[in-house]
Parts: sequence; C-alpha cells; structure tokens
Amino acid sequence: MASSDDPSRREGRYDRRELLRKAGVGAASVGVAGTGFGQAFYGPLRFKGRWLKGDLSLITWAHFVPSFDVWLDKTWAPQWGQQNDVQVKVDHILNTLLPARAQAEVAANSGHDIFFDLAPRPQYEDNVIDHNEIVQEVQRKVGKIGKIAHRATYNPKTKKYFAFSDNYVPDPVVWRHDIWNGIGMSPNTWDSVRQAAPKLKAAGHPLGIGQSAELDSNMALMSFLMCFGSFVQDAKHRVTIKNKHTVEALKFMADIYQKGETDEIFGWDPAGNNNFLYSGKGSLILNAISATRTPEDRGLPFANDLWIWPVPRGPHGRLGYEHVMGVWWVWKFSQNQPAAKKFLADLEINYRDAFLASKFYNFPSFPGALPFKEIRKLVAQDKHKPQGKYGILTTIAEKYTTNPGYPGYSNAAFGEMFSKFLIPQMFAQVSQKKMSAEDAVNAADHDIKQIYAKWRKLGKI
Amino acid sequence: MEALAGARPRGRRWTNLFERPGVLASVLISPAVIFVLVLVGGPLALAIWLSFTNATTGLHGKWVGLANFRHEWGNPAFQHAVWHTFLFTVISQAIVLVGAGLIAHALMKNFRGKWLLRFLILLPWAAPIALSLMAWKWMFDTSYSIFNWTLIHFHLVDKVSPPQYLATSKLAIGSVIAVHAWRILPFAVVIFLAGLASIPKEVDDAAAIDGATGLRKFWSVTLPLQLPIATVALLFGIVFTATDMAVVYILTQGGPPPSFSTEMVTTWAYKTGVESGSLGPGAAISLFLLPVLAVVTIAMLLFARKREVA
Amino acid sequence: MEAFGRAVREKGLSYLIVGPFAIVLAFPFYVMVITAFKNQTEFYDPSVTPYWFGKHSPTWANASYLFHQTEYPTWLENTAIVGVCVVAITLVLALPAGYALARLAGRVGQSLGVGIFLTYLVPPTLLFIPFFAVIKQAHLTDSIWSLVLVYPSFTVPFSTWLLMGFFKTIPQELEDAARVDGASRLKTLTRVVFPISIPGILTVVIFSFSLVVNEFVYAFTFISPSNQKMVSTGVYTDLIRGDLPEWGAIMVAALIPSIPLALLYNTFLDRFIAGFTGGAFR
Repeated sequence: MASSDDPSRREGRYDRRELLRKAGVGAASVGVAGTGFGQAFYGPLRFKGRWLKGDLSLITWAHFVPSFDVWLDKTWAPQWGQQNDVQVKVDHILNTLLPARAQAEVAANSGHDIFFDLAPRPQYEDNVIDHNEIVQEVQRKVGKIGKIAHRATYNPKTKKYFAFSDNYVPDPVVWRHDIWNGIGMSPNTWDSVRQAAPKLKAAGHPLGIGQSAELDSNMALMSFLMCFGSFVQDAKHRVTIKNKHTVEALKFMADIYQKGETDEIFGWDPAGNNNFLYSGKGSLILNAISATRTPEDRGLPFANDLWIWPVPRGPHGRLGYEHVMGVWWVWKFSQNQPAAKKFLADLEINYRDAFLASKFYNFPSFPGALPFKEIRKLVAQDKHKPQGKYGILTTIAEKYTTNPGYPGYSNAAFGEMFSKFLIPQMFAQVSQKKMSAEDAVNAADHDIKQIYAKWRKLGKI
Repeated sequence: MEALAGARPRGRRWTNLFERPGVLASVLISPAVIFVLVLVGGPLALAIWLSFTNATTGLHGKWVGLANFRHEWGNPAFQHAVWHTFLFTVISQAIVLVGAGLIAHALMKNFRGKWLLRFLILLPWAAPIALSLMAWKWMFDTSYSIFNWTLIHFHLVDKVSPPQYLATSKLAIGSVIAVHAWRILPFAVVIFLAGLASIPKEVDDAAAIDGATGLRKFWSVTLPLQLPIATVALLFGIVFTATDMAVVYILTQGGPPPSFSTEMVTTWAYKTGVESGSLGPGAAISLFLLPVLAVVTIAMLLFARKREVA
Repeated sequence: MEAFGRAVREKGLSYLIVGPFAIVLAFPFYVMVITAFKNQTEFYDPSVTPYWFGKHSPTWANASYLFHQTEYPTWLENTAIVGVCVVAITLVLALPAGYALARLAGRVGQSLGVGIFLTYLVPPTLLFIPFFAVIKQAHLTDSIWSLVLVYPSFTVPFSTWLLMGFFKTIPQELEDAARVDGASRLKTLTRVVFPISIPGILTVVIFSFSLVVNEFVYAFTFISPSNQKMVSTGVYTDLIRGDLPEWGAIMVAALIPSIPLALLYNTFLDRFIAGFTGGAFR
C-alpha cells in the first residue's frame, strides 16, 4: 500500500485485481434466475486517470429481496472499492427507521456520505449536493434519465437534482388465481374487485388493500385515487385533492372495505399485507414482487397460484405510482463527494447485475441502463410458475407507472404530505364511518394546503 | 494513602480541609452536579431555546415566541396525545398498583416454589423492552396471533375477521395499556416488597393487641401503611409510562388511523420533531410534559417522605 | 390446630394470587420459547398449534441463523460493555454525591437531591437532537462510546437520589464512633460507610444496568453500523430481513439476555430490596 502512488506498480496490481474480479463475478453469477451476471464494469471508468481514495460510507435499507443486499455488500461494494482505491462501508437498517436517522444526520451535520430512502425526500434540498453531475454522467453513458426518476428527484423551481434515483419498483396487484377462479372472477377492473369483495370474504379470503399509516397503504391508495381521476396536486403544484372524483373513490373504497375486508387493514406495517397474503388468507394485495418472491423461496403451497397483474382499471383508466423507489443523496457534509458521485454513477451504469440480484425488483431509473427489451429476455428465463408471470412487469413499468406527485414533480410539500400519511388517514375516516366522504376530503384538503403554503413560503415549490 | 497523609504536613492540610463538612460535601457532590448540568442542562437549555423558534432540521430558526406552544395547545392531535398519555398512565398504574400490592403481600409469606414464581414474575422486567415488544407484536399479529388462534380454535370468534388487537381503536388502546402494565408490574412488586420490608413488625402486632381485626384493621392500619409504598411505586410507574416511547412506537406507531388512538405525547413529539424535522414544535411538545411530571414527582416525593416521618 | 389451618389457608391464598399473575406475566416468554425453537413453516401454519411444537420441531435453525448470519454475539458484547461502563461511571459519580447530599449538605442537600432527580424526567425526545450534536463534537458518532457518554444522563440522577435515601438509613452513630476513634471523614467513608452500603450499591448497579439494556431511542438513532449496535436495537433493525421479521431468531435473541438477567435479579432480589427500602422509604 505504501507504494500506491507509483503508477507502474498500480497498474500491475490492477491487472491482478482484474483477474480476481472476473473470477469473483463468475462465482457470484451462479444462482440468480439461472442467468449469468454481465460484466461488472462497463467501459472505461469515469474521471479517467484520477485515483479516488479514502473512505466512503453509505446507509441503505434492508432490501425486501435479501439477495440484493448480499450482492451489494459482498460483490458490488468491495469490487468497486478495490477498483477505485476506496474503502466502502455499507450499513443497512430497517426501512421505517431511515427518516429518523436522516433527521439525526442533518441535525448533527455528520453521518454517512450517501443516504438512501424509499421515497424522495425533497425537504433536504438545502442539505445535499446538486446531483446534476451524476445524472449527466449516467446520461452520457446509457442515455436519458427516465421520466419517473426525473420528476421524483428534480426541483424545477430551483433547478436542482436533490437526489439521484437508481431504481424504481413497478407496483402490480398480486392476487390468488385459485381463489378468484373459485368465484369465477378476476381483478381486471375496480368494479370487478368491488363485486368480488363479498364473495371472496364469504369464501374466507378477504381483500387486503391497506388503510394504515405506512408506505404500502400510501402507495396503494394514491394509485387507487389516480384510477378514479383524482390527483393530490396538478402539474403546477397546486393542491387538487378536493374534487368529486376523490369523494367517489373514498365511497368506493369504503364499500370494498365493508364488503370484502377486515379491520386488520388499519393496523398494518409495511409487511402487514405481505403476511396477510403469506398466511393463505388474503386473496389480493397491491405490492411489489417481493410478495411473490417470498412464497417462492419459502415453498408456500399457493406460490404458483399468485398472479401478477397491472393495477385494476378505474373510471380514469389504470395508473399507479412506483411501489417504492431507490433514492440516494450525497450530503453536503460528505468528506468524499467525488467517490460518492462515482459510486452512484457506476451503480446505475451497470444496472443489469443489480436488477438480477434484486430478482427483478429494482427497475433501473435510466431506461438505457437496461432496456426493456433486455429485461423481457431476462424475465422470460425465470422458471417460476406460472411461466413468464414476471413479463407483465415491463408493461406495468412502461405504461402504468408514474412518480409520486404526478402529474407534478415530487416536491417537498408532497413529500411531507406523504410522510404524514394524510391519504390513508382520509380513507380510514370514511371507511370507519367517522366522517362523510365530503368532510374527509375537506379535512385532507385543509391539512394538505397548509403544508403546501409552508413550502411555498420557503421558496421550494 | 492515609498513612502518607498522616506523615506529611501538606497531606495533613488537605485532610484537614476535608474535615470541614461543607468542603467535603462540595467535593463529593460537584462531579455529579457538573456532569448533570453539562450533559442534561446544556442540551435542555438548547432544546428550550429551540422550542421558541421555528427551526427545522438543517435550517436555523427564527425566534417565534410562544407560537409553537400556542399552536400545539390548539392542535387536536396534541390534545389527543395528552389525553392518551394521561389515560394510559392512570389505567395501567391502577392495574399495576392493585396487582403489585396483592403479589407482594403474597410473596412476603414463605411457601414452596416461591423462588420459581418470583422468577417468572420478574421476567418482564429483565427482558430488554424492545425485544419483549417484538414478542407482543407477534402475539398481536394480524394473521398469526396466538390469542386469535385460541379463540378460533374454540369457535369463539369468526375465522375470517377475528379481533385485531392493534388495528381497531378500542382494542389498540387496551393492548397498549396491557403491555404497559405488564412491563411495569414486576418493578412495582419489587418496590412493594421493599416497602413492606420497611414496615416494622411491631406496628402490626400493636394493632392486633388493640383488638383491631378484619375490615377495621385494614382501614385503620394496613391501608395507611401501604400509602407511602404505593406512592413510590406510582411515582416510578408514572415516570416510566409517561416518558416511554418504545411501547407505542414499536406496537402501533401511534395508530391505528384515522383516530390515532394510541398516540402519546412522546411519540407525537418524536414524529413532529425528529421524523418530520420540525425541531421547534417538537421541542415544545416535549416541554409540555416536563412541568407536569415535575409537579407530580415533587408532590409524591414530599408525600411519601412526610408519611414516613409521621 | 387452628393455627395450622390458618397457615395452610394463607399458603393456599398465596398460590392462588401469585400463580395466575406469574402465568400471565411469563406467558409471552412461553410463546418466545415455543417460537424460538419452532420450524419456520410451522409457526406460519395455522394447523399447527402455537402452544407446542409440530413434527419438524424443536429445531436449532433459528438460533443458528441468529449466531451465524447476524452480528448478535457482537451486540451482546456491546451491551455488556456499555452496561459495565455506564454502571461504573454512575457509581463513581453517584456514590459520593449521594453520601454528601444525605450527610453533609443539610436541607440544601435534600432540595438538591430532588433537583437532580427531576432531571431524570426530561424526556429523551427533547434531548435527542442536542445529544447528537454533542456526540459529533466528541467524535463518537456511530460508536457504542456515544452511549457510554449519554446513558449516565439518566442513570446518575436516579442513582444519586436513591443512594441519598439509602445513606440516611445508615446510623450516624457508626460514623461518629469511627470518628471518635480518630478516623478522618474520608477514611470513615471508605472504611465504614461504603462497606455497609453494599445493598444500596447493588440496587444502583442492577437498576442502572436494566435501564441501559432497556434504552431504545438513543441506541437506535445514534448508531447505524451493525457491529456497534446494542442488543435491543440490533435485533429490531437487523432481524427484519426481506419483508418479514425472522420471528424465530428474534425470540431466541430475546430469551438469551432475559433469562440470565431474571435469574440474576431474582438471586439478588433480597439485597436489592434492602437497598431500595433504604433508598426510597427513609
């Protein structure tokens, strides 16, 4: 290590590492969906000729598909670190604890170089670097940033990328084909979901669309609202929740709850609806494909009867948010910003491995990093039954997935509304008959407008 | 050390200094006081200052006077949190006092298997709370609750929609209170045992000689003697319950919606100040708790010690 | 004969009261034991009774996962280190202060004692942000030593108050006698007072240790690397892998510290009670 400044020595070492790397990649490629990992690093490295150094620390969630963490911790991070002379340290914590940790790091002005969360956190715009450079670099390599990622991480008002998104996760409906078949129906439209509700519950298999203060409920209910033509904000970031579509959607969902669900939907945490499905009781949930991967891994008897479809069609068509999205940011206080930037850029540029390690959970935020055409090929090789069930994910990703805050951007006000779970709250008021649909909309409108006013005053929207 | 001190005049001078109660007292007390002042006083002062500003994480706030306090005072979410904190504390402590009193009296006697029973009773106190809460979460699970398994097994509830212990308002309140009581009870038993041990045997005997029996003895002798014990147990129970965040945070996150019927002052402060980053209001919410607890504590301490003297 | 009958009745009553309470209080631990050694598919299977093992149980699989796939042993070690250090700091600060408040400072001491106790009431939610800044200044971020620094903030006030009460129960005559014999105040303290204070010290040790083991808020926000976590936060944050908690492993993790600690508390309970009697009731 003492001679690391000597270029010739370095090159020699690099060659050895190359060999090691290839061997390592070969070993790691066994197992995931039966396909090989591609080459770990494409093309020449960025910042050519310049050697990064030092430590790089990042904090991320404990991935819902555990094989992704194995890949990140044991393969990607160490190899990238070796190639760049950077000591990379990855910490994982429970996803629900990320916001508190982020607050603590901002308050103390110290912590990890790179922070991760499952939804955009625009409120930290002033505490993070401009991620434009990373976006530009990736765009140079793989082509334009996806619309979802752009709208989720860019503030048009201040013209700043307040985060860098590497992935988003399509949000399908996961349903038990055997049970639905038993009553001769399928969840193609919200109308048929409502019609099926009493029959499914009578058969002992209620529906499971959460109305709790947690991420999955938030996502499912906002997707539901969009299918009814109701949006929290418009393209100009004005609050538009107060309209007749919202009222209609609220009444509709309350009806679904009363006819086809049980009280548990109000008490779930993010794993609640998964458990509900895995217990064999649930007949339908709105969740990402971790909900089918776990039953496959566990060998649950109904694993082959779990079907994946796009979100049911409503009066306004099919529209959903991503289920979650990978959002990374580099704090301003980070001591190793060059390494942080390069780490994120390289991660995205080589997304094929990440996609495979996540068992198709993570879709790249830059479509060019792994084009849909290739995704379809990889997905077709998945052996789980029904054969080719994951193929629909590309359709969902291409046609029915939007960013949080659509048709606007994911701005700080939307982020606060989101993290306070005001939408599940509004739904629960109506479902539990604590408020009329009209009153619940008015109450939500009042709260949301307050939040928007606050952030508008701060000049962030 | 003492030998050296005795041999040298300089050492003796030091020793002489220590002979003065005032000097020795300050020397002995000051490390603790300085430590507390620096580690609690400093941050507390900062937190109090924050409560008068509109600081958010990352942004230095401006002085806003009492605005945060006024806003929270009128905020239904805060009012509910205060009410729940009060409710949970009072009900769980009522359960704890009765339970601990009974258990402690029974444990004063000698009987076979006492050691084992005492061990079982102490378990909730020994278990790290976050871990035992995970066990409770598992027992209250929406799909795999052992309680519901039992009820379904005996056909007491509907298989498809059994009770949801953390998902409906009333049950969630009941569950949180039960867990608080479960958690505090062992410690209250210990306090009661300590208190009962401090009652001189003669008092009891004297009452018996006076011919006080049954209910009259209970009212005039036994109960008054329990009061200071109960006060100390209550003091700890109140402090533990009212300032605790883990139970609600891990079990319900303050939910279930829409009424957020298990939100407590601590969780509301944490959500506001830490998770949403509104440092000013968050500090203000926490500060509401402080004078209330201080008054309750001082009153109880005075009461407990007065009774002792009398 | 009548006395014998009364004794039997009293004992019966004791069982009747303590028995049910013991069952209720220990029930979660029974569930922990069953779940800890149960095969995963079995505890997710409603046709297998949750009160006992199924065909494929008991199994060591959950325990083995805990010890081989997570840093659980490190968390136990961290908890022990922090516990011991905090207890030591607490004793060093609280023991002299408690004594002085009880014996030397008169009425002022009483008020000061209560004042110190009141700082125990300051909720962690309030101190959390300032503490984080302090820890950063001390370069202790993401290390167990940050907890060693912060935890005495609640163990010292409580322990000082308890010891203050305890020292008041030690007869003044003992000290006076020693001083008449020519011992200095310091010597009286180390030779006479501290040795008979063992129950009080033990109470403080057990109580401080249990506060450390139980603390949650600071531990989970101050520390993120797995190898620096405490047992309660490590289990809570790292054993929820994928989208499901590893229930079996969590139960093993909960049992391992709980049972020895309960045994320890139970063994020393009489001394603890003696300490507490002095501390809180005099």
